[in-house]
Amino acid sequence: MTMKPAIGLLALAALCAPVVATAPARAQASGELTVAFGAEGTAVDPIKYAAGVDHYYIGQMFEQLVRPDPSLKETNWLAEKWDISEAGGKPVIDVTIRKGVKFHNGDLLTAEDFEYSFRKLRDPKVSRWSHLQAAVERFEIVDAHRFRLHFSEGDGSYVANQLQLWAIPKKYYEQVGEDGFSKAPVGTGPWKFVSRTVKEDLKLEAFDDYWNKEHRPKVKKLTIKIIPEDLTRVAAFKTGAVDWIDAVPPSMVEEFTKMKGVKTLSLVTGNNLFIDFNTDMKGSPFADVRVRRAAAHAVDVDAIIKSVVFGQGERYVQVGKGSAGYDPNLKPLAYDPKKARDLLREAGYPNGFDTPCYNLTTPREPNIKEVGEAVFAFLGTVGIRCKVQGLEYGAWIVMGRRGRSGPPIMDGVISWMWSQNLPGDPAIPWAGHLHSYVEGKGWGSYSHTADAKADAMVEELKRTMEPTKRVALIQEIARYKNENVLGGLTTYRPKVTFAWREDKVEFNPWPYPGYYRGFQDVALKK
Amino acid sequence: MAEASPRLPRGFLAGLRGRVGATGLPWVSGTMLLLVVVAALFGEAIAPHDPNGFNLAAAFKPPAWQEGGSLAYLLGTDNLGRDVLSRIIAGARVSLIVAAYAIVFSGVIGALIGMISGYFGGRVDAVIMRLVDIQMSIPSLALALMIAAVLSPSLSTVVIVIAITYWTWYARIVRGEILSLKERDYVALAKVAGCGTATIFHRHLLPNVMNTLLVLATLQVGQVIIFEASLSFLGLGIQSPEVSWGLMLADARNYITKAWWTITLPGVAIMLTCLSSNLVGDWLRDTFDPKRRQL
Amino acid sequence: MLGYIAKRGVHGLVSIVGASMLIFAISRLSGDPVLLMLPPEAPQSLVDETRRHMGLDQPLWMQYLIFAGKALTGDFGNSYRWQMPALDLVLDRLPATIQLAVAALLFSMALAIPFGVLSAVHRGTWIDNFGKGFAMLGQAMPNFWVGLLLILVFAIHLEWLPPFGHGTPAHLVMPAIALGWYPVAAQTRIIRSSMLDVLDSDYIRMGRAVGAPDWVLIWKYAFRNAAIPLVTMLGVYFAAMLGGAFVVEVIFAWPGLGRTVVEAVFSRDFPVVQAGVLFTSILFVLSNLLVDLSYGVIDPRIRRDG
Repeated sequence: MTMKPAIGLLALAALCAPVVATAPARAQASGELTVAFGAEGTAVDPIKYAAGVDHYYIGQMFEQLVRPDPSLKETNWLAEKWDISEAGGKPVIDVTIRKGVKFHNGDLLTAEDFEYSFRKLRDPKVSRWSHLQAAVERFEIVDAHRFRLHFSEGDGSYVANQLQLWAIPKKYYEQVGEDGFSKAPVGTGPWKFVSRTVKEDLKLEAFDDYWNKEHRPKVKKLTIKIIPEDLTRVAAFKTGAVDWIDAVPPSMVEEFTKMKGVKTLSLVTGNNLFIDFNTDMKGSPFADVRVRRAAAHAVDVDAIIKSVVFGQGERYVQVGKGSAGYDPNLKPLAYDPKKARDLLREAGYPNGFDTPCYNLTTPREPNIKEVGEAVFAFLGTVGIRCKVQGLEYGAWIVMGRRGRSGPPIMDGVISWMWSQNLPGDPAIPWAGHLHSYVEGKGWGSYSHTADAKADAMVEELKRTMEPTKRVALIQEIARYKNENVLGGLTTYRPKVTFAWREDKVEFNPWPYPGYYRGFQDVALKK
Repeated sequence: MAEASPRLPRGFLAGLRGRVGATGLPWVSGTMLLLVVVAALFGEAIAPHDPNGFNLAAAFKPPAWQEGGSLAYLLGTDNLGRDVLSRIIAGARVSLIVAAYAIVFSGVIGALIGMISGYFGGRVDAVIMRLVDIQMSIPSLALALMIAAVLSPSLSTVVIVIAITYWTWYARIVRGEILSLKERDYVALAKVAGCGTATIFHRHLLPNVMNTLLVLATLQVGQVIIFEASLSFLGLGIQSPEVSWGLMLADARNYITKAWWTITLPGVAIMLTCLSSNLVGDWLRDTFDPKRRQL
Repeated sequence: MLGYIAKRGVHGLVSIVGASMLIFAISRLSGDPVLLMLPPEAPQSLVDETRRHMGLDQPLWMQYLIFAGKALTGDFGNSYRWQMPALDLVLDRLPATIQLAVAALLFSMALAIPFGVLSAVHRGTWIDNFGKGFAMLGQAMPNFWVGLLLILVFAIHLEWLPPFGHGTPAHLVMPAIALGWYPVAAQTRIIRSSMLDVLDSDYIRMGRAVGAPDWVLIWKYAFRNAAIPLVTMLGVYFAAMLGGAFVVEVIFAWPGLGRTVVEAVFSRDFPVVQAGVLFTSILFVLSNLLVDLSYGVIDPRIRRDG
């Protein structure tokens, strides 16, 4: 909504308006910064968000209701306050949004915009994540800055995922349509869209009327270049063509930390890798918990992290540090090949056994192929002899996916991954790979486990919305899962190293949205 | 170029013997090629280490002649501590197996189709040539990538993909030869004498195109090896645990500044193999028909 | 002449249509893009519905007809990954690939011509052997390897050239070298042998006898003749450059069609694979058509019998 007051009125208002008590007059955003990403977001429209990498672009221009801050603490963002209550036995989330938040085109943010966003996000013909909104049966607009989400049943993930609604401008979107919006997106975020060349770059400009006065970019122009090739990205940084890069190749991290005038930061990016075993196929050796425990004792995950990914990984045991339900007292099964062999003997495999092992060869995470090879080699040292088969991404997805019915195709060991996101919540991944496969219900779409107790706990977790209850439940599931090596053996969470010129750039990484690539707080020195 | 009397086919070796004296053997390239073949055949016995034996503690050892290298790993190790020399030897086997099978398949299929097309002419020829055109209008790497995505990458897939990509060359060239050969007197005579088509193919046409085929095949070895390396490099070719030089280059890409030997030495292996097979192929071609330079 | 062009043109058209069918069939067989598009926790019902919504549950021949119909109106569908029209994506990238192919071709001729001529003129000497050897080296090295080594030496260690992207002529140097390296050998050979043919001819000998300077004979007369087979093969080499561009573009992050198609194959992005490979094929066919036409112009016999 833009109102054009008469000039006279404006002058009067300026004379009479009380001085707003904010921080002392700050310099306008100035200067230009060029950065390089190793991967490109495919969309600039949050409704069209397809995969994590899309946050790289969307996260600069669009915002949600709740947001984790740099210390991974959830803070209210576009939501001023919100709470969960119950009405008629069904949960209701009541949200009050901040007043005075403007879109890039000057429109003010209202509850109507969120209602519009909700309608679009739950439409499977438009959004690929419609199932995330499935539990909300009604969106009620209370007034311009307040709305309620009425759930048909408990949905813990809704809360865990920062209330999942993007602020998009209803009037503008309806005016320009989907295609028009993709060509000229408008959000509430700190950066305004200037131009985009697919596969080359995204040009942004700081939004002067951005609502958050405390955390905002002090750089005027931002150019994000896309350089997927590791070597060329590194060379671009070294030659000064860009002053900030993400994804420093793991093998070069050490070199970068030693570089003069360069600051590096290694952060966990929210993906969780693990090794899954086929436990629900008839006659599979992995159905025996002793064999699974043997496999867990056979792999020296720390050595792999150190040597194969050059330390660019953080070991996690079921739930990562900083995530909901993280338990520092939960210890992994120790690297102990002798114990592994003993367990195998106990289970009836004194000479080990042969098994197919499926490895992802497409580098969706750095060196994932080598990690898989190393894991399988470790298994081999205790007698679990792997017949390794490399699969590129498309084939790998098909291999892991549970079919309509019948036994899984994956008949051995597979290197897998499922992001628990940032700051991290395992509910959705566990629903997908810990819970057993149930045709037609959406449970266990990539699961090779069938444990009734785990199933019951995961189902309860889905319904639980209250944060402290969730934490307790997650810890209980984690302990059970760890003991019995169910739903796979967790290995590590990959880290990404960011590097920038220390004497030129000041950068404070915000985890989400954008997986630390959000330039919420960035400034040029001198 | 028509000849008065038919050049009756003699044995290949006889022809070889007769001409060696004239041009001399390609010693250097021949020995190089022989080395590669020996590596391919006896790889397991010669290789100092298990090509897939990984040893994280021994990762990134430079070649023996550099500081930090050791004689145990003559050409250094890669990021997982695997011996580069052993992997190069193992890769030789894969490269030659792929090349051999792929060339034989594409050569046989291509030659057969080429002969049929050239000999029968008319509609058959037109249809076949259209099919060849259609396939050749798709860039070979694009076609190979798509097929590999369908069949799921593996050694056999690579062989199939390369065979599918290269048969058209043989078909076209053989067809060209047949077109000129079929007008010869002795072919007409054979027809009059009542020889069946298969006999004509086998006795009269095939031996005459054999020289061309062999020269083409040898010249193709280099191309096929590079093609396979490109496929493996992109990730749709040979998959580990099998070893291919192209795959070694792909793996080494991330460590180019850290371990120059992992990215240079497999490439050198490719280069030397292709160079020597090209030279041998050139020599064969010059020996058998110096006039035919556009091959 | 017109009949010849028309005939070749029809052949080309048939090739393109046939190619589009072939590409369509193969890419559809290569796997399920829906699973790759949707997040992992998407329930099967959503997967099925999305597949239906995208028309992927229809029989193959029907999908092709729908595709062909739309393609004729310029609608190649939306990229599954980029959610924008596939045709836009392809046409956007096409000029960069053509630019690279042309540059590579120019580079290869810049090497092949001097090598070929000098080899022929000084046949049998070390110059001849050096030229042949150098050219052979090109044919024995995979272009992506050359590219990587070039980046290592000239971009990282010496810092003479920019390692990525495109925009200035400097960006074009290394990709063009890596791509154009390969055909140098064949081109050198062609030039050399046709030069040799011409240099032996009567009128060159006459020219020498009359006392015309060597360089005039070589460049004004001999080379002109020798260039004919090279020129006619230009179309073929251009097509070869287009094919080789796929890997070189990936190495140098060159924003061309080849890289786009490679990525699209991996992500089973059918519309982009379809549109991308089709346009490359069109270029292919066009260049070969030019080759045929130039042959036809030069050699009337071929026109008659072709």
